[in-house]
Amino acid sequence: MLRFAEEIMLLLLDDQDGSFLPIPEWSMQCALAGAVLMDLALDDRIDTDLESLILVDGKPTGDPLLDPTLERVVASGEVHGARYWVENTASYADEIREAALARLVENGILNREEDRFLWVFRSRRYPTVDGRAEREVKLRIMGVLLSDEIPDPRDIVIICLCDACGIFNELLSPRELERARGRIDQVRKMDLIGQAVAKSVWEIQASLAMAAHPVY
Amino acid sequence: MDIGESKEDAVFVLEPKGRLDSANARSFEERVLAALEKGENALLIDFDQLDYISSAGLRVLLMGAKRLQQSGGTIALCALSPSIHEVFEISGFLTIFTVHSDRAAALAAMG
Repeated sequence: MLRFAEEIMLLLLDDQDGSFLPIPEWSMQCALAGAVLMDLALDDRIDTDLESLILVDGKPTGDPLLDPTLERVVASGEVHGARYWVENTASYADEIREAALARLVENGILNREEDRFLWVFRSRRYPTVDGRAEREVKLRIMGVLLSDEIPDPRDIVIICLCDACGIFNELLSPRELERARGRIDQVRKMDLIGQAVAKSVWEIQASLAMAAHPVY
Repeated sequence: MDIGESKEDAVFVLEPKGRLDSANARSFEERVLAALEKGENALLIDFDQLDYISSAGLRVLLMGAKRLQQSGGTIALCALSPSIHEVFEISGFLTIFTVHSDRAAALAAMG
């Protein structure tokens, strides 16, 4: 089973050319942070309530995608809210992204290609080699969005993360998105770490909007 | 974790007491699954003596509700404290679960 950070990376790549979809950097960082924290929660290492993220078991998971974050929670020795940990973990998003992509390449799901532009600037692309994992994630998402069935916790997480980084604009047509909006709004509230991710993303978006259009 | 259990006509009642969090979510999950595997298809979770619920506890409820929905059964909750009601409201779980004020009201509605 893929980790959420891997699933998010698959959804963030353009199927045609393996480049990253144009989404705000902060949104992606928060989504990757949330992905790791949510995996730690489903692995019974952390728990959350409305105020706090609580360390349950500091024993390493053995997964290098998750353990650096778990180590920071253990080392902190203090109790903070989920949002604090989303923003703290977001500052390590580059490492999480690289680790997730490396694992997807290692497992034969993506290929890694480097292009040079003017012989100097490098850009990386990750064309899909085996599309089954991505199709399975998309089917899970659509299955929840197009039904009234109670979602399972993994489906809730992936919908929270997709919404936080705006992937639904890419996955659904404007008409489909309009129809699914109510369901997305219902499901994304069901995970408290997901709510913290969304709040962090919105706050930055709001401050950017204020900076672009200051109110005097 | 102390979990009360009773059968009231066709309704199987589970009454978790104290805190429902990652320390005991697994044992509560086992009790819910055991009830479903016995064929109980009307489940009432009585929160009268529950003081606290975390995300781990919410996930167990979600799992139980999903299983019952798939088998055509029903699940309801009752006697939520104000703080637990707030958790359910903020997390949107009130859109999934039918919540009654107390056990008598729940049994009357489910009977």
